[in-house]
Amino acid sequence: MTTHASMDDPRVTLDEQLGSFEPIPPYPPRTEREHEFYTVADGEMLVNIGPHHPSTHGVLRVVMKLDGERVVDIDPVLGYLHRGVEKLCENADFHHTISYMDPLEYVSSLFCEWPAVMAYEKLLDIKVPRRAEYIRVLTGELNRISSHLLAMGFHALDLGGITPILYSFIERDEMVEMLASITGQRMLFNYFRIGGVNGDLNHEFMSRLGDWMGRATAQVEANQGLLNENEVFVRRNRGVGTIDSQTALKMCWTGPNLRATGVPFDIRRAHPYSVYPELDFDIPTRSEGDSLARYLLRIDEIKQSLRIIDQCLHQMPDGPVMAQVPRLMRPRPGRAFATVEGPRGQYSIYAVSDGTDQPFRFRIHDPSFLHLQSFTLLMPGQLLADWMTINASLDPIMGGIDK
Amino acid sequence: MTVMSRAWGRLTLPGKVIFTAIPLLLALGVALALVVGILGGPIVELASQYGAVLRFLVAATIILVITIPTAFLIIFMEMKIIAFMNLRVGPDRVGPWGTLLSVVHGLKVLMKEDFTPSRADPLIFTLAPVVVYGSSVMTLVVLPFAPGLFAQDFNIGLLYFFAMGGLAVVGLLMAGWSSFNKYSLLGGLRSAAQMVSYEIPLTLSVAGLLLLAGTMSVNQLVANQSGWFTNWYVFQQPLGFLIFFIAVTAEANRTPFDLTEADSEIVAGFATEYSGMRFGFFFFAEYVNVFIVSAMTVALFFGGWNAPFPFPALAILLDPGSLGIWLLLGIAIVPLVGTLVLSLPFLLTRSAMPAWQAIVLGFVLFNVAVVGLLGVWAFVSFDWVAGLLWFLAKTYVFVFTFVWMRATLPRVRIDQLMGFAWKWLMPAALLNLFVTAGAILVVGR
Amino acid sequence: MDAALKRRLEARFGEGLQGPVRQRHDETEIRIAPAQVPDVLRTLHDDPDFHFQLLADLAGVDTGTAMQVVYHLWSTTTSDWLRVIADGLPREDPRVPSITFLWRGAEWMEREAYDMFGIIFEGNRDLRRIYMPADYTSFPLRKDFYLPDDAARSPGGGVRHMEQPQAPLAPGKTLVRRTRA
Repeated sequence: MTTHASMDDPRVTLDEQLGSFEPIPPYPPRTEREHEFYTVADGEMLVNIGPHHPSTHGVLRVVMKLDGERVVDIDPVLGYLHRGVEKLCENADFHHTISYMDPLEYVSSLFCEWPAVMAYEKLLDIKVPRRAEYIRVLTGELNRISSHLLAMGFHALDLGGITPILYSFIERDEMVEMLASITGQRMLFNYFRIGGVNGDLNHEFMSRLGDWMGRATAQVEANQGLLNENEVFVRRNRGVGTIDSQTALKMCWTGPNLRATGVPFDIRRAHPYSVYPELDFDIPTRSEGDSLARYLLRIDEIKQSLRIIDQCLHQMPDGPVMAQVPRLMRPRPGRAFATVEGPRGQYSIYAVSDGTDQPFRFRIHDPSFLHLQSFTLLMPGQLLADWMTINASLDPIMGGIDK
Repeated sequence: MTVMSRAWGRLTLPGKVIFTAIPLLLALGVALALVVGILGGPIVELASQYGAVLRFLVAATIILVITIPTAFLIIFMEMKIIAFMNLRVGPDRVGPWGTLLSVVHGLKVLMKEDFTPSRADPLIFTLAPVVVYGSSVMTLVVLPFAPGLFAQDFNIGLLYFFAMGGLAVVGLLMAGWSSFNKYSLLGGLRSAAQMVSYEIPLTLSVAGLLLLAGTMSVNQLVANQSGWFTNWYVFQQPLGFLIFFIAVTAEANRTPFDLTEADSEIVAGFATEYSGMRFGFFFFAEYVNVFIVSAMTVALFFGGWNAPFPFPALAILLDPGSLGIWLLLGIAIVPLVGTLVLSLPFLLTRSAMPAWQAIVLGFVLFNVAVVGLLGVWAFVSFDWVAGLLWFLAKTYVFVFTFVWMRATLPRVRIDQLMGFAWKWLMPAALLNLFVTAGAILVVGR
Repeated sequence: MDAALKRRLEARFGEGLQGPVRQRHDETEIRIAPAQVPDVLRTLHDDPDFHFQLLADLAGVDTGTAMQVVYHLWSTTTSDWLRVIADGLPREDPRVPSITFLWRGAEWMEREAYDMFGIIFEGNRDLRRIYMPADYTSFPLRKDFYLPDDAARSPGGGVRHMEQPQAPLAPGKTLVRRTRA
């Protein structure tokens, strides 16, 4: 073993071994796939990206096998944000589990709460008041718009454009403030309750929403004009990360990413829940299946969400916002599966009750988890810089993926 | 005495050093002045003998020194302008409107720990920032700031500019290779590919201009464009200007061609492992480069120091020598009268303000006015002052354009970048060259 | 509830099912043996009567006495979610065939179930831990997983403490206090 003096402190001698980086994990490969990935051919190199990298949307880590700038293979490594929410929920009261849902997808918290309360309502056979359902749809669509705006802004940021994110955040901040006026929180709302919502709409919310709806369409159009007509942006996205509809279904994709391949699967229509059957909106689809299609589809969805919010405001019924729900819940033993269409796809909860006041099994399903998995399909053959495009267009949120 | 010793005891170690250093420095200055006074004659004699050498040394020192405020100014401009374009406030804490923030940044990088990765190649790792910074400073040598205000006028000035600009890639490659980091390596290789590719359209784009001008001396090129602004080469070489500007953006590693330090892809590219002042050198070099390429664009295509129209000779009208005895009288009376006149508005309108404050304000205003008038006088009397102002004004328009592009555009991908250089810029530059040559053949210069 | 789906399922799988086809709200549920998983799911996926093209979820469940793997499927032919429970995996050596040949996207969900429950999916090409570090040895979502922190002791439940922090029991004894769901 050779040694050399440290650059920083000449009194210190360093082993050559210490500073060296071994690309192979310090354990024998566990699976065939791992063996294949970590066998590096001549001229290839492994590059580690993350978990603290500027464009990994949280604490994602991927290991890339590169040939020059071209990606040969990719291996995402998860678990840097794993908190064991499922185990926590199995040890908490039914009411308490809802507050664990918020930090999952922290940019669209309501869509994590929603399937949880829906699953409990199924277990307990609770009928939610119609006004509460409308409020859920209204706030949910607002949250969807804010989440899409964030995704679009960060898409540009990952490509090196620093301005669109700040323009997006003007609108997002307005929406977050609106939601904060009824939920009391800007980000982790904890607003939905088993059997309804926590608190009715208030004056501040309505006046802010009214103001914002007046200029929302124009603002969204202005924001997208900055990017959609930008040749650099379009060229970096078109034809990057293309996937066809059959493969997307095989990869269990849902949400905007699946609809960008041409499959009109939207749980709001495919398996209607809440008051969505009463509302009139379209399911935008695109056939290209590339990053640009995924980006543009989000804009279309924002427009549809604005339509839904408009209808919600006009059709909002009077009445209570909470059903009569016991404080201590002991549902009969049973199983319930509830799922909603979130801004990233299908969020679902599979809750099993054993007759006690805590869920026996609480399974959280997050769409980003499955979208992230498709890197191994989308990346080989692309350039290193395309990873940022694909990652941004798939829009994963690590809080939900790592649970 | 106790008061003094208590104050001394409260000083920190740097405070004590500075406190003792100041009188020492003063004494040194006085001694130096005395020495110069005694030995002044021989020194002047020597200087006149080696005038060109001395002039170059002084000019090089000045150039080395002015890079720092230039970089500070452009960094501040970038922070503030991008902030305004992003509808943010931007820096506003240090100094008025945050103007001193980049100074604080400079102090910060000076004080940061400057470490070397244990497996880095120490010599090359240390030399890389020097090469990068040196190449951009050396480019400044041929820049004509104003008539007579340049470090050196080569007859191959433009060639020198391209050669020195191309030297930067060596430094970036050195940094990328020696850092023992894969991001750095990718960044270094990207910069090598990018710079080598863009050198070609860059050099070809000015070939047409050289055919027109018949000289490679930047000074001469600027002098050729005097008179009305229609004489600027941009009107004869619009395509050449476009290609030059795009290629120069890539050479300076600015958005949308900042692939070498693409922060969302390869963290900081070649500079990933650098910290402290070594990183500061890279950072400075980038902004000095912005200034240089803007200045070169102005010098080649926008008339350099020339005003956009022939400036009327006002110098005779404002010649202070023609005032004769009235000049002395004016110097004696005008400050007093001016101060009083300028403090009158405060005295009359601000009843709450004490009279001495109003007079102090008047004095300050008078000084401002005098400095302004002196500036106007210098502007019309010395053509290098006017030239410098025109030159800097035009240059900062282009600096603003670079900042503007950074706020607006995303980054291109490496294959698009290379494809653009080879498939579009180079044919366009060749076309420009042939058309110019043909036109000269038919019409004459 | 979609009664037609129930009839079709009974007609198609009939005696192969473990227990009756259950329906509640908008969910239809069948139980099958682990060995049947590839056949049943392939039929559900390919048969034009069913055409369950979309795998909505794949979850492992530890009932305390046995392991389950739960699949949730969606089809255009019915308005119900179909839940397929592969029941009765032994807790000591839970093994079930992988369904990555039908949905490649199930690969990570199976990895997660392996990571959390130790269920081995035969045929998954990349069955390694996904959340937990590579040198981790236990399976956190199993009901006998020792939970040594204060989260379990907090009075949050209000009624009873689920898993009291205590030293792991001797082998043979069980910590599971819950009944089968």
